[in-house]
Parts: sequence; C-alpha cells; structure tokens
Amino acid sequence: MKIKKVLATVLSVAMVSSVVACGNSAPESAQNTGSETSTTTAGETQAEETATSSDVTDTITIMVPPITGDYVDLLDGWIKEFNQDYPNITIEVIATSWDDHTEKLTTMALAGEAPDIAEVSYAAIGTYVENGTAIDISQYIEADRLADYDQNALDYMTLEGTLYGLPLYITIQALGGNKEMLEAAGADVESIQTKGWTYDEFLEVIKNGTVDDRYGFVFANAGATTQDFINIFGVSAGITSSFTSDLKYAYTSDNMLSLLQAVETMTSSGYMPNYAVEAGQRLVMLQTGQTMLTGKAMPLFENNIKRNIEKMQASDPEAVEGTIEMEYVFLPVPTMDNATASVFGTVDGMIALRNNNTTDEHLKNVLLFMDYLCSGERAATVDNAVYLTGVCESARKAQESFELDQSDANAAAVAYAISKVVAPPTGITAEQSANAKTMMDETIVPKFQALLAGETTAQDVYDAICSEAYNLFGEENCASGWIK
Amino acid sequence: MKTQERQNKRLAKPRYHMADNISGWGFIAVAVAIFVIFTLYPVISAIITSFQEYKPFGSEWVGFKNYVTAMKNDLFWKSIKNTLVYTVVVIPLSLILSFSIAVMIMPFTKRIQSFFKGIYYLPGIASGVAISVVWLWLYDASPNGIFNRVLALFGASSQNWLSSSKTAMLSLIIMALLSSHGANIIIYIAALHGIDNTYYEAAEMDGARFFQKILYIVLPMCRPTTLFLLVTGVIGSFQVFMNAYMMTGGGPDNNTTMIGLLIFNNAFTYGKYGLACAQAILLAIVIAALTTLQFKLMGEDIEY
Repeated sequence: MKIKKVLATVLSVAMVSSVVACGNSAPESAQNTGSETSTTTAGETQAEETATSSDVTDTITIMVPPITGDYVDLLDGWIKEFNQDYPNITIEVIATSWDDHTEKLTTMALAGEAPDIAEVSYAAIGTYVENGTAIDISQYIEADRLADYDQNALDYMTLEGTLYGLPLYITIQALGGNKEMLEAAGADVESIQTKGWTYDEFLEVIKNGTVDDRYGFVFANAGATTQDFINIFGVSAGITSSFTSDLKYAYTSDNMLSLLQAVETMTSSGYMPNYAVEAGQRLVMLQTGQTMLTGKAMPLFENNIKRNIEKMQASDPEAVEGTIEMEYVFLPVPTMDNATASVFGTVDGMIALRNNNTTDEHLKNVLLFMDYLCSGERAATVDNAVYLTGVCESARKAQESFELDQSDANAAAVAYAISKVVAPPTGITAEQSANAKTMMDETIVPKFQALLAGETTAQDVYDAICSEAYNLFGEENCASGWIK
Repeated sequence: MKTQERQNKRLAKPRYHMADNISGWGFIAVAVAIFVIFTLYPVISAIITSFQEYKPFGSEWVGFKNYVTAMKNDLFWKSIKNTLVYTVVVIPLSLILSFSIAVMIMPFTKRIQSFFKGIYYLPGIASGVAISVVWLWLYDASPNGIFNRVLALFGASSQNWLSSSKTAMLSLIIMALLSSHGANIIIYIAALHGIDNTYYEAAEMDGARFFQKILYIVLPMCRPTTLFLLVTGVIGSFQVFMNAYMMTGGGPDNNTTMIGLLIFNNAFTYGKYGLACAQAILLAIVIAALTTLQFKLMGEDIEY
C-alpha cells in the first residue's frame, strides 16, 4: 500500500514537472516557429576573419518567405560564403510561407522575440515603427555602403525621415494579356507597352475582347487580393499612394470616386466577372483563354506562361489543363482623364528589428549581413528571378552578365512602367501608415468587395470611405477634389 | 467501533496522513498547474493588457481607453451581431439535426450504430483547414463551381456564394451545419441509452405513438444533455473563427466578420494587443451572461 502511494506521488511529481518544463520551453520554441530552420555555425568555415567589428561570437536570426522559389536554399549558400569572412557570426534562418509571414512576424515582434532581420514590403514598416520594434539602421551601416543603394528605393524604406531597412527589389505590378486577342480587340499593343493608354481605350478593348466564355478583363479580387486591385488600378485614377504629397489621405479624393465608378462600369457591363476570383485562378484563366487581359500581372509571368506552354506541348501532366498557345504581353494600367500616367510599384526589402538580445554591437553585425544580402550577386539573383533591374549599383553590375529570357517588347514595357513609378511622399508618420492600413482592411476592402458583387453603388462606397476616414484622420487631413 | 478505532489510529499517525495528502496534492497539482499556466495566467495577463497600449518594450497604462475604443467601434458591434445571427441559426438547427440523427440511429444494432457514429464523427478528425479548402471548392463562384453546376441543372443562375452579402453568411452556416455533428450525436446516443426501457413500455401500454414517446419521454429525459450541448455550443459558436478566416476573411462588407476574427485581426494583423484583449474580455462577459441566462431558463428544474 505504502509503495503504491510513494509511486503515485513520484508519478504525480513527474507529471507536474513535465507540464512546468513545457511552460519553460515555450519561449525557445516560439523563436523557432518557422517551417524550416537551418543553422550555419561559424565553425563550418575555416576562413580567416577579415572585417568584423568584433571577435565576439554573435547569432543573427533572419525571417524570410520564399522571395524566389529557391530563396531559402540560396540563402544557405550565401550564409556559408558570408561565414568565410565572418566566422564568428552564426546565422539562423526562419523560413516562412507568404501566407503566414506577416502574422508570424507580428506575433514574434510583439512578444519581444522578433528576428533580427525580416523581409517586409515597405507599406508594412509603419506597423513595426508604431510598436517600437523597428530600428533606425543608418547609424549601424557605413555611409559608402549606403551610397550603393538608389535613393528612390531607400525612400520607400524611410518613415518620418528615419531609414528602417535596405531595399531588395522594386516590383512593378500592372496588367498582362494575350497579344493575339488584344490585337483582335483593336489594341495597338506595342504602342500601349511603350506609351501607355487611356481608360476609354482600355474600356473599348475589353468590351471588344469580351465574347462568349471569355471575359475581356479579369482581376484577382478574392480576399487580400482586393487590396491589389485598389493599389494597382488606383494609379489609373492618379492615386499613387495612400497619402498625397501634402500628406493628406488620398482615398477621399474625387479620384477615388472615379476609380469606383470605373469598377462599377466594368462589372455591371459584364466585361469583368462580378464574382470573387482567387489569385491563382486569374492566371489560369489567361493561360486557358478564359480572359484576354488579367491583373495583377508582373513581368516574370512571361516566364511562367512560356514554361507552361512548353509543358503542354510535351504533354506534361503538370501543364494547366486547357492551356492555349499565346504570347504574353506586359502592359501598363490605363490612365483616366485628368490623371498623370503612372504605374504601381512597391519595394520589398529587409528591416532590422529589436528583440530582447539587441545591443549596438549586435546591430552592427546585423547590418553587415543585411547589406550583404541586399547587394551584389545576392540581390542580382533575386532581381533576375523576378525579371527586374536591381535597386543598387552592385546588383546592377552583377546583373550585366545575366541574359533575361524576355521579349524585347516586354522589356520595353517594363522600362516604360518603371519610369512611371511614383515613390510615396516622404514624411508619412507611423501613425498615419498604421491608420491607412486599418482603413484599407476594415473599410475600403470590405466595401469594395460589395461593389464588385454589385450590391452597392460607387457613390455609397465612396461616402462610407469618406465618413470613416474623416473619423480616423480628421476631415482637414483628408484630400478633397481632384488630386494630381 | 472498528471505524472509530481506525479513525483514532489515523489521528495518531500524522506521518501516514501527510503521505496520503501529498499524493492527493500531487494529483491535484497536475490539473492546478495546467489551469494556472494555460488558463489563469493568460486570463490575468489579458485583463492587465486590456488596460494598456501594448508594446513589447514598454507598454503604457491607458485605463479604460481600449474598452471605450471597442465600444465605440461600429465593426465591434457588427461582429457581435454577425456572431449572434450565426449562433442563433447554427446552434438550434445543429441540436435538432443531431438529436434527430441520434434517434434514427438508435434502433440499429450496436455495430451499425458505431458505423454511423464513425461516419458522422469523421469531419471532426479532419483538419479544419483541409475541410475549408474543400468547401471553398464547392462554393467556387464561377459557373464551373460545384454548387453552381447543381443550380444550373435546375435552371437557376450562378451564385456568388462567399462574396455576396446575401449568401456569404448562409454559406458559412450551411458549412457549419453539415460538418460538425459527430460529437453531439455521440453524446445524444449516450443519453438515449440512459433512458430506462420501462418508460417506453409503460407508454406503449398506454397507447403512446412514436412522436408522443419522443415528446413526453425522450425530450424531457435528454434535457440535461440538451442543456449541456446548448451551453457548450453557444460558447463554441461565440468563439468561431476559422470558418470566417478561411472562407470569407470576414467579407463582403464585413458581413461575416465574427467577433473571434475581429479579435484575431486586431491582435495579430494590426498588433493592437490591448484592444484585442479588451474585446476578448467583453466577449467573455457576453458569453458568461448568455450562459447564466441559459441556466436560468432551462436549468432550474433539471436534476443531475
């Protein structure tokens, strides 16, 4: 009897200990929430240290989504190269997917366990500035290294005059289409690619391109992609950023009403579906001839479409079912009356984040590695994969030897589009940035979805946006009339 | 007399008594530790955070500001309304369906009962995300979508299932109704097994028909079970998150934004932990009030 009780007590203690142990291990597991974590230790290389600011060993964590299909694999190789020069620095990679990257990063940042470096789009920087985890990197990087980066790209990574990260690439997002169908619908494709087109011309083309079983235009608009529509097509109406040059909220301007009315026209006329189209679905619709024109589109789609046609010709079962032969053309978005021709561009880059282990010495090492990743051959590899030109001198130099499998016409369209990208105004505060995100997620996107479904009018959506924006920013801080 | 002696012996042997207590405390400690770590600490932490503007490196005490912000936010009330609508439709229908299926399964042999219980429980062991993906496919709004093809067979036009405010909530309700009965059916079958056969025999002798037996014997005898399923169902329904997150993202026009999704977005998309915690505390108060009300209305004359 006594033995049983002793045994029971021992087992109880063991169970309690295991529970307590689980609790203790939580912080460590929270740091390793990535689907894959690879570690390269300093001991793996025997190279002599050349330029580290300290001999003290240091560990840097970096969180990245698959920027290119094989980015994490490439990163492992680059870390090994980096360790040849800096054997005292250990790099830990937290690989995420595009779907969970932002949520995982936000959660870790708020827990005080942010990775030292994270990949973000410039529009998300405000969130980390607002919660106090973003770091002013300018004091931890040499001025000559900073000079390698294009100023307009650095501007994207700057908020309230403070530089929070280094740009990796500037991507242009516009429209893509089937050349043969577009020409049959009356579009002068080459002219559009190099000179742009008006909204009226665009409307005429998609009207002519809409036939039985085929839409003239399909834009992915399900869930988060709704925001893409507003960003990318917003420039048609002259809205190139959430804020005007005098830092007034832009979505309350007459330009927004014009954009909403254009959407109303396109959906009610049947040139564009009035149902939700998933991101992957729109490309399939283009590849299978169910639409003439699609968005969002990027230059690299030319490669995707060529590879898919090759698979179809080789009877590869991985080819999209129903694929048709086509020539992909990258096109700028049309320009509405009174608006200046422009194309939506966004910069993605790496930012430095504060965590419980952050020290000045550590940050110098963090910037050393961040700069290494965002420049030279590393950046060039990413830019080549996404069919874009580098945003720093060293990357462009490394790109010289690389030949892009891109048609001359599309290359010309990309050059035209890049020349029309307008950087966001400087001086946007973290609070404005965070409020703009709330407006987009809680008001604009939901109302816009209702408009796409034909359940509300452009005017009602516009009125609702104005009402919410006046509450959030104050009417005096919201744009009125037509902005140029 | 012997009992008295035994008690005296126990009193005389405090060491033995202590060992007895230690093992008892040991067992309790497991549950207490789990409760403290995974429930009490997070709840206290959430209450504290709800009075702060949370920042990982230096939160600021803001009093009731987060509660005021939550109460003034139209979307908060809209999400409460959406959740209420979802709950009011899903829970009663789900209970009726589960009860009906359980009653229909009862006459079969144990083996066949087990087969049906397994079939109905199957969605419960599948990943919610995987089930959502299947439902997304079913609700595809293009004319090629499965449900739209079915409608086309009857000459009806395609529906924008998840993107129209007329059908989005209905779509989530249908999905909930058709994929979450397993546990309820099993619990109802257990309750039905607990009803003594003598009640049925007496009723049959009095000439009671099937529906009279259901109405006057089965339903009253299953009342504690129904109350249990109702209370846990309402609590679960108020915390519903994944369906809206996976299927509609809360759209269109926030018509399917449930309170759980709103709290999640505030915490993990916008990083507003303070506001999210305040909304979670308000939700807990609403759930507690509803639960009390249910016990008041249904639980007073129940004997356990």
